[in-house]
Amino acid sequence: MPILQKSQADRSATFAFWAFVTPALLGLTVFTLVPIVWGFLLSLSHAQNTIHPGHFIGFRNYADLLTDEAFLKSLVTIFVFALFIVPLTFAVSLGLALLVNKIGWGRSFFRTVFFIPSAVSYVVASLIWKVSLFNGLPFGFVNHIIGLFGAHPVAWIGTAHPPWYWLVLVTVRLWLQVGFFMIIFLAGLQEIPKSLYEAAAVDGAPSGWPVLRYITLPQLKATSVSVLLLNLIAAFQAFDEFYNILGGSGASIGNASLARPPLVYLYSLALSNQDFGRGAAGGFILTALIFAVTLLQGRIFGFGGSEK
Amino acid sequence: MRRNSVSLLQPAASAAEWHGSRRDFLRGVTVAAGALLVGCGHSDVPGARVTLTQWYHQYGEKGTQEAVVRYAKAYTALHPDVAIQVVWVPGDYGTKLSTALLTRGGPDIFEGQITKPMVTAEQVAPLDDLFPPAVRSDFSARDLAQNSVDGKIYGLKMLDDTGILYYRKSLLKAAGIAPPKTMNELIAAAKALTAGNRKGLFLGNDGGVAALINVAPWSAGGDFLVDNKIVFNTPQVASAYEKMRELSDSGALLIGAPTDWWEADALVQGQAAMQWGGLWSYPTIAKALGDDIGGMAWPALDAAGHPATFLGGWSAMVNAQGRHIEESKKYLQWLWIDGLKIQEDWCLGYGFHVPPRLSLARSAAPLQIGVAANAVKDLNIWGRSLPPEWNSAMGTALADAVTNILKEGRPAAPELATAARKCERELSRLLE
Amino acid sequence: MNKNNVLNQLPRYLLLLFVALLFLIPFYLIGRNALMTDGEITSLHWAWLSPHPQWGNFSALFHDTAAPMLTGLANSAVIAVVTLVFQMLFSSMAGYALARIPARGRNVVFFLILATLMIPGAVTFVPTFAVMAYLGGVNTRWGIIAPGVFSAFSIFLFRQFYLRFPTEIEEAGRLDGLSYFGVYWRLLLPNSTNIIMALGVLTFIASWNAFLWPLVIGQDPSAWTVQVVLSTFLSSQKLNLPQLFAAAAVGVAPLVLVFLVMQRYIVEGAKFSGGKE
Repeated sequence: MPILQKSQADRSATFAFWAFVTPALLGLTVFTLVPIVWGFLLSLSHAQNTIHPGHFIGFRNYADLLTDEAFLKSLVTIFVFALFIVPLTFAVSLGLALLVNKIGWGRSFFRTVFFIPSAVSYVVASLIWKVSLFNGLPFGFVNHIIGLFGAHPVAWIGTAHPPWYWLVLVTVRLWLQVGFFMIIFLAGLQEIPKSLYEAAAVDGAPSGWPVLRYITLPQLKATSVSVLLLNLIAAFQAFDEFYNILGGSGASIGNASLARPPLVYLYSLALSNQDFGRGAAGGFILTALIFAVTLLQGRIFGFGGSEK
Repeated sequence: MRRNSVSLLQPAASAAEWHGSRRDFLRGVTVAAGALLVGCGHSDVPGARVTLTQWYHQYGEKGTQEAVVRYAKAYTALHPDVAIQVVWVPGDYGTKLSTALLTRGGPDIFEGQITKPMVTAEQVAPLDDLFPPAVRSDFSARDLAQNSVDGKIYGLKMLDDTGILYYRKSLLKAAGIAPPKTMNELIAAAKALTAGNRKGLFLGNDGGVAALINVAPWSAGGDFLVDNKIVFNTPQVASAYEKMRELSDSGALLIGAPTDWWEADALVQGQAAMQWGGLWSYPTIAKALGDDIGGMAWPALDAAGHPATFLGGWSAMVNAQGRHIEESKKYLQWLWIDGLKIQEDWCLGYGFHVPPRLSLARSAAPLQIGVAANAVKDLNIWGRSLPPEWNSAMGTALADAVTNILKEGRPAAPELATAARKCERELSRLLE
Repeated sequence: MNKNNVLNQLPRYLLLLFVALLFLIPFYLIGRNALMTDGEITSLHWAWLSPHPQWGNFSALFHDTAAPMLTGLANSAVIAVVTLVFQMLFSSMAGYALARIPARGRNVVFFLILATLMIPGAVTFVPTFAVMAYLGGVNTRWGIIAPGVFSAFSIFLFRQFYLRFPTEIEEAGRLDGLSYFGVYWRLLLPNSTNIIMALGVLTFIASWNAFLWPLVIGQDPSAWTVQVVLSTFLSSQKLNLPQLFAAAAVGVAPLVLVFLVMQRYIVEGAKFSGGKE
């Protein structure tokens, strides 16, 4: 291609490039970049009952939050929640994927059954869990079932001893997301070359646990890491089921106080209490925390990219 | 907690109560379709020069929504150039309202509880000129104080609410117990009345934290925020919460019911023998249980304490950022100051509320007898509320402490000390 | 997989059946309660199904002016469809440009998009609300829609997809005199139906089920989505249990339908966004 034509092509490519990316870039700028900058300015402001930065107070919002027992407790709460939900989701979705992958007949039926809760929203699921499944009165489903075995009805949500509300919160998220991660594991399983298993059989390796331990799991490493990562980031942003099952601030605050994740706390701080400065500062602290945990997980398990 | 929670703890409507006629349904469909086409902006009503938007939270009592629409239409009939668009807001009203006030499209008139930051941020307009001396003297000092910040009045009280400890007379009689006068008697009664699938007492599904967080310490002579000082970190308040824990641990509390304390279902359906509820529910309860119902204020902590209840309710306010402040004030004056008949209909025609106008409250026949009369008497003697400086961040801090005391079984004194430190920080932020 | 393995697989099937039953309980509960009277739901004597199914619960739901279910359904449908269409359009355009159009500044743009990908969306909700209030989008459907249209994640996925698109097709098109736009519109887009379907269905589901943002933005009942209407039932109404579950059924049914019909694409989308493709 002659040089002159090339520079013309360059120019038309540049034009086309910008024409193609401008809508997306504009949108991301307005709804992601500007909010980040605006939020940062708000986080440096005393913004009570206003969303306009201006009354700057340095990093006091950050300092206040980091010495605020309720916020620190919300961070502990979300760690505890992640500690339950991440390994459980991992184990159950991997387990189901292994089971479904092994069977011949009925595979798509089971896949559908496990996957279909992903279509349900957290709001609807919370509603079923709170009002019907784990209702504290004898007509709750679980109370009916344990009643068949002679147990008394349990108030699943309102009491701290024992903290049954964790069972309610963890099972609802488990039910909602296990199917999605099972699909990802199934895809990972189908990518493992059959020859590996055949070679193992020739070498006389018994089937079952050793095959799982030395072939399947190592081959699933990249998938596992991405499942862990998606799961962990989602867990740290938990809001819907806590807000809908335990409550936000107000009516059942005595239940909300039992386990309040950061986003619920920031929601009530920013929107109920109208302190947008601290609300924004809390968002940045939470983001930093998610980054840190992600990096830590990368350190421990790798990020999954290099192994592929 | 009270100030901000009241907005959420009010009677909320039953979906079933609002079955509209077929015409309402069709109108709903048309409105939905229209909204789809033109977006959700509040369009001006044709013919009217000014359209005022007025927000109410969703009251639970049957007929209330129709009533406020009727009032608004009556005003337009008298003043054809002013149309009122009533917006009936179910859900988390407090949050929705305060968020709407941040934006340009907020309501002109709304109900709520006044807080100091709303005044500082110039969200509410002063209403002092609606209160000439003759009007002012017809409101109680407490109602005026509740609606004043730095000497100016920002809220026009539309109704006074109060809490009642309801009990089934027959069940108490059968168990051979008298209506409890102290917390110890209440705990004993709640235990004695727990039998089979019925619990002794219902205080809400969080075990009474939200409902009694202020009332219980008041019954011990404690308080929360007085003259811009946090005053709840005292042995009295601690002992009040520790007594509440004894009640929690008694196993006599109903927890996990489908409705919460502000509805009377648990009592009416026999899930509990006693219930903390509102005066607003009294007509419903009396209809269902007839004479088999008694009521009183929350019992004294001990011999040194006294009965306690809250003075709640709703005030009408005008958006200082609205475009029609003067028209809004005129409408409010017509609605809640000149319109004594309207206030009577509003406070007594649906659920029971105490009319804030003293002249009206004195003459209101339904409030002169039985449980209601007692409740009004108790409200006048013992009714308390939190000042406009108390905010929801303080409420959250206190609720966390109380949850720890009641549910986690932690000692009260250190929890209250922590909460008090937090509240003092919040207060100094608020006052800066 | 041998036929004589079926006996060996019996325990596996039993275990799967048991878990499948557990997974179906919530759906059963929605259906059961939606067709009962309040008294039957709260009865101390458990009935697995109502002897007299109350289909009237559904018509009662749609006549309820306090919880505008019809408006909610209409809003959710409009919001989900508009979000889906524009997100696919803008993301595929940007993805194509980032993958295939050599231009100065491309790496900077790509880095910028990757950076926004790292910021958790739920965490920026307060400042995004501030921006939206400033733009006048509070209480409007476009205010609920707009932030969801621009997804760094789906731009990224489209870029990965177009990176592997055979260059021969594109070059042939260029030789035939097609512009970049022509290549995108005539060649790439028609060959992207799979990824568009896969990501599109996921976008639709996410948009239909979104809660926090519509809750914050849609204050007036006329702007509520299905999820906000449902949450309203849960948070403040005097609970009418049958109607609550009828509402849940109505809120879930469209998505379960989409799910069953589009399952193939959803599975592909899940794999793709999980990094398995």
